[in-house]
Parts: sequence; C-alpha cells; structure tokens
Amino acid sequence: MNELRFIQTPAPHFKSPVTVPKIMFTVVLALIPATIGGIYFFGPNLTLSPLIFSILSCLFFEWLDGKIFKKPITITDGSALVTGLLLGLSLPPGSPFWLSIAGGGIAIILGKQMFGGLGQNIFNPALVGRAVLLISWPNLVTTWSAKATFAFPIIEQGLVAIPQGVDVVTTPTALAISKEYGFSVLSQFEPNILWRLFIGNIPGSIGETSAFLLLIGFFLLLGLGIVKWDIPLFFLVGLSSIALITGQNPLYHILAGGAIIGACFMANDYTTSPLALKSRIIFGFGAGALTGIIRILGGYPEGVTFGILIMNAIVPLLDKMLPRQFGVKKI
Amino acid sequence: MMKGKVFHGGIHPPTFKELTAQKSIKKFPSPEKVYLPLLQHTGTPLQPLVKRGEVVKRGQKIADVDAFIAAPLHSPIAGKVIAIEEWPHPTRGKFGTIIIENNGSQEDEIAGILSSEEMEGMDPKSIQNWIREGGFVGLGGAAFPTHVKVSPPSGKKIDTLLINGAECEPFITCDHRVMIERTDFIFTGAYLLARACGAQKIIFGIEKNKPDAIEKISQIARNFPFPTQVFALPTLYPQGSEKHLILTILGKEVPPGGLPLDVQVVVSNVQTAWAIGRKAKEGIPLIERVITLSGDCLKSPENLDVPYGSLLTNMVEFCGGFQIPPEKTIMGGPMTGITQVTLDVPVIKGTSGFVFLKKTIPKKEYFCIRCGRCVDHCPMYLLPTDLVRYVENGAFQEAKKQRAMDCIECGSCSFVCPAGIPITHFIKIAKAEILLQMRKGGK
Repeated sequence: MNELRFIQTPAPHFKSPVTVPKIMFTVVLALIPATIGGIYFFGPNLTLSPLIFSILSCLFFEWLDGKIFKKPITITDGSALVTGLLLGLSLPPGSPFWLSIAGGGIAIILGKQMFGGLGQNIFNPALVGRAVLLISWPNLVTTWSAKATFAFPIIEQGLVAIPQGVDVVTTPTALAISKEYGFSVLSQFEPNILWRLFIGNIPGSIGETSAFLLLIGFFLLLGLGIVKWDIPLFFLVGLSSIALITGQNPLYHILAGGAIIGACFMANDYTTSPLALKSRIIFGFGAGALTGIIRILGGYPEGVTFGILIMNAIVPLLDKMLPRQFGVKKI
Repeated sequence: MMKGKVFHGGIHPPTFKELTAQKSIKKFPSPEKVYLPLLQHTGTPLQPLVKRGEVVKRGQKIADVDAFIAAPLHSPIAGKVIAIEEWPHPTRGKFGTIIIENNGSQEDEIAGILSSEEMEGMDPKSIQNWIREGGFVGLGGAAFPTHVKVSPPSGKKIDTLLINGAECEPFITCDHRVMIERTDFIFTGAYLLARACGAQKIIFGIEKNKPDAIEKISQIARNFPFPTQVFALPTLYPQGSEKHLILTILGKEVPPGGLPLDVQVVVSNVQTAWAIGRKAKEGIPLIERVITLSGDCLKSPENLDVPYGSLLTNMVEFCGGFQIPPEKTIMGGPMTGITQVTLDVPVIKGTSGFVFLKKTIPKKEYFCIRCGRCVDHCPMYLLPTDLVRYVENGAFQEAKKQRAMDCIECGSCSFVCPAGIPITHFIKIAKAEILLQMRKGGK
C-alpha cells in the first residue's frame, strides 16, 4: 500500500461545477431570444452583418492581443463572445460592417485587454466600443433603418412625412420623437406605443427593442443564479424616479431604448459592477438615474451607454463600502 | 420553537452522508502499537511523563505540561513504551510521538468516576480540574482544550451551553451515530459541562438532515432534570461553525476576535460531551473516539470506534482496503480537511474522520471575474475576492483592515468560485502573515 501517492491541495476539496466559460455561454444563451427577435423584426439583411462582424471582430482582436503580447489565448472562455454579441445587439440595423469591426476592436483592446484582460477592466467593454462609435460616427450610429411596416414618421418643420420605401426605410426612434416633441405627440402617432415597445416591433438597435424577449433571457439567468436582481431593479427604479420627477411616463422610459438590455445585461456585468449589496443598489440606481437625466435633460435622446459607463468609473470607490461586520451591530 | 436566525451566505455541498449514516459504530480492535503525538490539541505541546521501556496501563496519563492551554494525554492501550521519536503527524508533518506496544494485559487505570451526588455537589472549579485531568479537547476538529472553554474569566457569566451536533461537513457521520447510539453519556457530559461553566440551560443544535438523532436526543431531553432543549438547524454549510451555531440558535453574534463567552455562551461538540460523560460513569479518560472513514475508494466505509494512535493504514485494512486507489486522502471533511501524504498517520484527538477521493479533477483557474459569488456566500460578510488581491500584492495590512482575521476558513468562497481560485487558501496566508507581523511588532 506504500506505493500510493496522494495529491496535496489546500481545502476545500470540493468545488462547485460552475465555471467561467459555463457562465459566459449561459449569458449568450440568454441573449439568443432577443437576437432572434432582432433578426426577425429587422430582417437578416440589416442585422446579420453587424452581429456577425461584431462577434468575429471581438474574437479576432482578443486572439491578436494574445499573439502580439505573447499571452495565453483566452478566446475560449466565452467573454469575448459575450462582448461581441452585446456590441452587435446595441448597433443600429443596417450599420456598415466596418463599424462593427471598429467597435469590436475598441471594445476588446481599449475596453478590456489594455486593463489586463478578463476581470481587470473598469468599463464594460461592449459599452466602451459603442460609446467610441457614437462619438466618432454619430450619424451612422443614430441612423435607424427599419421595415416600413413599423417605421415612425419623420417630422420636419412641423410637417409629418410618412417614410417611403418598398421594404426598408430610415426612421427616427421613439426616444428621438419623444425627446423632440414630447410623449403626447408620439402617442398620437402610435396609441399602442407601450405594447409595441414591449414586443419589439419598433425602430431601434438590433437587440434592444424587445423588452419581452430580453426579459425571458434575464429571468433565465436569474433562475440559474447567474445574475442577481439588485442592479437591474434599482436601475429601473433610478430611471423611473427621474421620469416621475420630470413629469414623464416612467413605464415608457423603462421600455424604450436600451433601458432593459442596459439594466439586465450591461449594468450588472460582473467585472464592472460593485460586489456588495449596498454598493450595488447605489450603482444600479445611479446608472438608471443618469440614464434618465441624459435622456430628458442631456443632448442625446438615449443615455444608457453613458449612464452605465459613468457609474463604472466609481465602482472602486463603491467597493470601499464594506458590508456590515459580523458581530458588530449597527449603531 | 425557539427564535433563530439563518446566517448570511453558506453553501449546499453534496453531503454523501448516506454512505455511512445508517451504519452502526464498529469497534476497531485494540492495535498492536499506538502512535501518540505530543501535540494533539490547540496550545502548548506536551512533555512525556514516561520513559522508553516503561509499562503503562490503559488510561494512564503519559504526557502533560505545566501550561493552562494544554490537555494531557493518556495511553489508549496497556503495554510498553517502545520509543519516543518523530513520527508522521496528520497536520504537522512529523512530530514527537510516544509509541506504545500492546502487551495484551488489558490492565486499566480507572479514575474519576462520579456518583450523581458528587456531580451535583462539585463546585465549578473542581469540575474544570476534573475535565483537564481527563485530557478533553473539542472533538469537532479544532481540538481546543475543553477545560479552558468552560473556565470563563471572572466577571464573565455564561448562561447557555450549546452542544454542537450540526456535523455539516460532507461524508462525516461520526457525531450522528454517537447521538443515536451513545445518547446517555452525552447527557451526563453535557450536564457536567453546564455545571463547570455555570450555564443555566443546555441547547442541542442538530441539522435537520439527521431527524433520527433529533428524535433520540429530544426524547431524553424531555425528561432530563436540567433545562435542556433541542434545536433543529437548517442544513446549510457551515452551520457547525460555533459562531453560526450561536447565531442560528440564539440570534447573537460573537464580536470580531471574540469568543462565545463574550455572548454568554459555551459551545461543545457532542462527542466531547459523550467522552466526558463516559469518564464520569466509567472512569476512562479521553483515549478513544468515533471517526468516519468514507469516500468513494473504500470497499466498506465505516463509523469506527478507535483508540487514539491507531494508524490509518490499519483502519483502511479493517474497512476491506481500497477498491480503487485514492488520489487524495483527507483528514476531516472535504471542506476543511487536510490532505495526507501517507497512510502511516495516527488518529489524533481532533480527527473526525478520513475521506478518500478517487478522482480530483482540478478546476481550471481563470482571472477573477468579480462575479461576487464569494461575497454572496461568505458567512462572515467579507469581500473574499478583494482579500485575494491584497494578498497577491503583499498588502497584508490592507487585508487586515478589510477584516481578513474574521475569516473562519470554512471554504465556501473557494467552493463557489467559478474561476477556480483557492480563495480560502489566500486568506489563510493573509491571516498567518498578519499574525506574524503583529508578533514582530510586539503588539
């Protein structure tokens, strides 16, 4: 029996079966309903190119970074796939393929690898990519194509123009119309606006339009214990609070634009959100409130990207707030 | 039902208790030789009281030291001291060990039997001394000398004695079997412990996954002359941690760096109570204990009543040997246990069992993705992942500020980590380093 050789390891000797790649691929799975929805609503011609090039670009740049800097190739951990998919879903249908490639490169190199790779980045990589695209090519990132069947009219100098086209037309988003002319004008054109925002047959970014399909994915992640409820809930609370204070319809703000995808898939990104409940509540509320402030008072019709990125920056500060100590009662 | 509080965090590891939970305790025959390390408790190492060649009786004191935090050692067999030398120790590599060869005489030294009148009449101080002479330590694993636990410093009052029957480690079922099969001595011992520390009531804490033990203990508790209750604990690891046992049963939190007596509580393991009860009734000190041998390698996993100093290799033979050679041998449970390099280690006082695992697939390690699982599952409200970063950067003072010393080393963070980071190990390093720096600083 003395020929037995035992492995020496520190306790514990049991490990849960959850691994980083499993988490990443589950997140991808959770985004599939919204992805399919986007392809269905806007048609494959407008959506496949941004989605595929975003994903390929993210994978490629992560691989390239590993090659150039002689680091282990990490593309199999699934995180670049998640970033690429989120970036693709946040781009407008019909955007040029090179926009996706540029966005993917920025997201991975500037957003992630420059900080040291997975788990080291301060800002959500997909949002870094999107933010840089938004600033660099504002026209391209805010030109919305959609099927003529559910496009919105273009209002110019008080004249309402119904978009003309056989199949695909350029159209403003709901948030653009409501920012310019108010929610009442929007609801005149479309009395069922809230329902359509919920379903997703409405102009917008590829993956952000259907609250319903995004929530299916979110509740799947919630049920599997991959994500928590705190940040998404308080994001929406923060956003609704600003809407209520400024006398706008909070439900509209929750359903419109990227609020749901931002709250449920971007603000609660593991690496770029705080660890403890108290800080997470502040973080979620802050990101939601900033989104509302930018939307209602700022220059952009949509504020999710910058709302989350600004809160990302103060996460190290929020993490200094420790939970209460065991054995010490609150004073 | 009593008030109680489920603690924050915790995990549900697979328990595998069904392997041995329904197996009666088997008596391991008195071995040819026993190997008794001079350090089997938390505290000062002992000095041998016997010389090579000396003949000793079963139950005779063979080592002691003039220190408060120490528990003497007694011979578990009658025989001759054949050597006092270095021998493999389950937690310390090698350590000075008294080796006794069985001479088959079965001569006992019986001392300290207490009649019921004596038990009622003794003052706490003499019970504490009586406990020290029995060599009793916490048999849950930490092996802290029991007489120290039941000696509250003047000014501290104890109102409750908790008997810990949580047994939350996977595989381990020895306490479970002792509660079912050796209930009477447990109550005698618990009564003596309560009298020694001045507790007004006894509460047993047993996890709900042991309904038969709860039932058995409750039956006797109902008619026990001393106020005694049973609390069915939720099955949640690390429920057996004394801080969390106190929190769940009494709703009180032990302050940081404090002891149970800071919240008027003494906690004792159920087997410790049994061993103390046995000394009172039979006059035998702490020379044997029940351990669990389990895992997926043994032909027949068992709960064994073994004399201290029995070698693991003999116990493995007793269980029919291995059907598959183990890759890992662990003393204790798989959550907090220590891996062994050899089967030549003896059973010591703090041994709750040995677990043999055939396949240990290492989890691939990634960078921390800050998913926060360690934070959510930490029963001490720590931010374990941040502590890892401080340790990696050698920032031990920062780790101390971030409460590294509060860590109870339960292993929940490492268990849940999807990046496979040995978080608990990092925090243990931090704790050791902080203690070292404190000692150097003369504080």
